[in-house]
This record gives sequence, structure tokens and C-alpha cells, in this order.
Amino acid sequence: MLRAVVTYGSQGPEVLLVAAEGEEGYSEYTFADCAIIPDGESPSTKIEGLEECDEGPSPIMPEAKEFFWGAGSFVLFALLMRFFLYPRLRRSMDAREAAIQEAHASAEAERDAAKGEVSAYESALAEVRAEAAARIDAARATVEAERTTRLAEANEAISARRAAAVADVDAAHDAARAQVGTAVATVASRAVELATGRAPDPNSVSRVVDELMNSGVAQ
Amino acid sequence: MEAFTILAQEADKAAAAASSAGFAYGLAAIGPGIGIGYLVGKSVEAMARQPEAAGMVRTTMFLGIAFTEALALIGFVVFILIGL
Amino acid sequence: MLALEFPPINEILRWQDVFPSFNKIAIIAVAAALIGTLIFLIAGNADGSKAPRGVRNLAEAIVEFIEGQIIMPTMGRDGLGWTPFLLSIFSFIYLCNVPGIIPIIQMPATARMAIPLFLSLLVWIVFIGVGFKHQGLGYLKSSLFPPGVPAALYILVTPIEFISTFLVRPFSLTVRLFANMLAGHILLVTFALLTESLVQGGNIALVPVGILPFFMLVFLTAFEVLVAFLQAYIFTILAAVYIGGAAHPEH
Repeated sequence: MLRAVVTYGSQGPEVLLVAAEGEEGYSEYTFADCAIIPDGESPSTKIEGLEECDEGPSPIMPEAKEFFWGAGSFVLFALLMRFFLYPRLRRSMDAREAAIQEAHASAEAERDAAKGEVSAYESALAEVRAEAAARIDAARATVEAERTTRLAEANEAISARRAAAVADVDAAHDAARAQVGTAVATVASRAVELATGRAPDPNSVSRVVDELMNSGVAQ
Repeated sequence: MEAFTILAQEADKAAAAASSAGFAYGLAAIGPGIGIGYLVGKSVEAMARQPEAAGMVRTTMFLGIAFTEALALIGFVVFILIGL
Repeated sequence: MLALEFPPINEILRWQDVFPSFNKIAIIAVAAALIGTLIFLIAGNADGSKAPRGVRNLAEAIVEFIEGQIIMPTMGRDGLGWTPFLLSIFSFIYLCNVPGIIPIIQMPATARMAIPLFLSLLVWIVFIGVGFKHQGLGYLKSSLFPPGVPAALYILVTPIEFISTFLVRPFSLTVRLFANMLAGHILLVTFALLTESLVQGGNIALVPVGILPFFMLVFLTAFEVLVAFLQAYIFTILAAVYIGGAAHPEH
């Protein structure tokens, strides 16, 4: 709280507001025990033991000392930045960027080289594969041809054997037939001899037997 | 008695100054409030429609906010000036 | 009844001089310049040929942020020469803003008029200088008499262009930065005072209620981190826009 001291001077009433010592809320501010003089008032009498209050700065008006300290430090900072700090940082940033670019470029080149190698390898691989395929095909053709010839040979052998067997069978058949014919003719001529008492003509007997046997086979 | 009258007048002046300062700032905040709301809303809409242009929209939005906000801040300065 | 007494604004901005004419704001400004120098010095000394780590990574991220997010969208490739200037503006403002949320310091140097005023006057001088350097007296013509306007309208347009280009730009740059930081500072003070008076007010029932403004205080502190970055970014991007516009009027 402020205490008002009103005095009557030559120009009418004059009001001084006095902050008292030990007042609550004022102890933390350094300007206790001082006189606050309202705007436009000029007291003719000073109060005993009281200085005029330092009201604190106006919130709006710029203060010269702050202005010049701020200006000085900023100008120094800006000059340092312009001529020393920023160029150094920029240089090393640019150097790094260039190094990275270079590394990228060399990596790109290496990748291209590697790609070339890969394609060369792949073409070689394709060649080898083609050759292998050709060889396999050739081998397969050879094997096929051999197989065909062997098969043909085997078939031929089989048919030859079959023909031989058939011939054997026919021969055996014929031989058996001839034997049977002879035997039948002998039996028949013997029977006729027994029956008639004279030996029949062997030629006619064999002819009759042949006829009978043939008709028997035909039946 | 005269001294008390003067003190009372001073107090009245201070109270009037305080309330008019409050009014001044309150009135000064209406326009920029609407303006910034509209501006940011439109910017968000633009960014949602074209996310690839978001950087440009954001920069322009901050510029617009800065210009709009200046009015409210002048109101704030007036508030301090009257309140003193 | 709760006795909450909010101090006048000039009291929360009042700092005693450490030695004559050197107060807390000056300390923060000098420290910001020193820390910025230190960061870029350490970054410059670090081995640049490997992948960046630690401080160097930070410095390179800031440089790339300035180049990619601020210069390229506003000035294009021609503006890359402005990187050191914009880089120092950005770093300096950020390092002046951020003490606003660092405990014990708790004061953004940009919450006072002086530093924002100086920086925006500097940007003002720079962009007018760039305009005259690139276009000669044609800069005044292109900025005060924008092409494509009927001749009769110049009576109206020219004063507006003059005010908006040469007066409002530095003013709004200053006020935007200053008022944002001061408002943040006042908000933090408000919630800190509210918490303190609720917890230490002598009323046991009010102590748990004091947690609410305390959470608000924590939340606002986090918000101020964002604001500190955003205001540095906005100041820098506006500087870039003004300089780019002065260099190439057709943009």
C-alpha cells in the first residue's frame, strides 16, 4: 500500500505517494522508502529522508543502454558469423558434401563395373550352358541312334530265330508226318498182305495213305 | 477533505484506465482471432488436399499469421500504454 | 478473501544495473552473442568430414533450416548469400528469447523494446539499401508506384504503399517480437503469482486449488519454448521476404 502525503505548496495541493518500509508486497522491491511523484507534479518540498522513486523502466520505451548493449553484441556476432564462423562451417559442409558426392559417383562407377562383370559372367555362363545343351543333345542323338540300331538288330535276331524255329517246327512236323505216313503205309501194306496174301503195290499204298492223311488233316 | 477528493479522482482515473485498457485489448483480439482461425483452417484444408505442397503452404501460413497477429499485438501495446 | 496483488508491469521488467548501464537485458544479449559464437565455433572446430554429431549437428541443422525453410521459399537461390546475416538474426533472437523460460533467469531479452527495435531498424536499413543497390532510384518507383494501377489511383495507393513499406514494416517487426515475448513473460508472472498466493495464502483449503495454476504455468512454459522459436522464425522469414522483395520487385 502507498501512503499519501499531501502538502500545500505555492501552486495548490501537491500529492506525494510514499511506500513505507516493511509493507507487505514491497519488501522484495528495492525501492521501498522512496517517494513516487505522479506525472505532471513537481513537489516544491522534498520529504525528509526520501529520494525520488526509481519507478522501473517504461515497458514500451526502449532504453538506450539496452539498445546499445544489444546492438553491440549483435553486430559483433553478425560480423563474426559473416567473416569467420559461417564460412568455416560452410566450407567443411561443402567439403563433406563434395566428398559424399564423389563417394556416390565412385560407388556408382563401381556398381556399373560390377554390373558389367556380372553381365560378362552371365554371357559366359549362357555360352557354356548352350554348349552343354548342344553336347547333351548330341549325346542324346548318338544314344538314340545306337538304341535304334540295337533295337533293329535285336528285332532282326528275334525274327531270324523265330523263322528258324518255325522252319524247325515245320521240318519236325513234316518229318513226323513222313514217319507217320511210312508207319501207316507199312501197317496198311502188312494188313493188306495179311488179308490178301500178297504184297500190295507200295506206291499205291503210300498214295492212298497220303490221300487219307491229307483229308484227315483237312477234316 | 480536498486532498481526499484529489486522491479519489486519481483512483477513479486509474480504475477507468484499467478497464478501458482491458476493453481495448479485448476488442483488438477479436479480429485477429477470427482471421487466424480462418487462415489456419484454410491452410490445413490446402495441405490435406495437396500434401506435396505442404511446405509452401506452411511458410505462407506463417507469414499470414505474422501479419494478422500484428493487429492483436498492437492492441496489446495499447493495453500497456493505457494501463500505465 | 484472496489477497492477490499484481505488480505494475514496469516492476516485473525492472532490473538493477550490475555495473552502471549494464543490466540483466544487456547480460542476456551479450550471453546470447557469446553462446551463439561458441556453438558455431565448436561446430566449426569439429571434424567436418564425418557425419555431424552433437553441437556440430545442431549448427548444421540451423544452417540447413535457414537455407531450406527461410531463404529458398522466399528469396530463391539468389538469396543464399544472405545466409550468415539471417543465421545470426535467427540465432540471436532465439538465444535472447529462450532465457524467458530458463529458471532463475526467467527474462526474455526481447521482451524489452530495445533489441527488437535495433534488429528491425537494421533489417529496415538493409532492405532499403538492397532495394537501392539492385534497382537504383527505380526502387522508389517500383515500391511507391506499383505497376498495373490506374494513374488516378496513385493519389490513394502511393501514400498507403509508403506507409506500409517504410513505416509499418519496421514498426510491426519490432512490436510483433517485443509484444509476443512481453505477453508471454506477463502470462508466466501471472500464473506464478497466482500459484504462490494460493499455496502460501495461509488458507489450507486453497492449497490444492493452487495446483491448477501451477499446471497452467508448466504448460505455458512449454508453450513459450514454441513461441521463442516461432518468433525467431517469423522475424527471420519476414526479414528474408523484405530483402527478397527489395532485390526483385516482381516477386
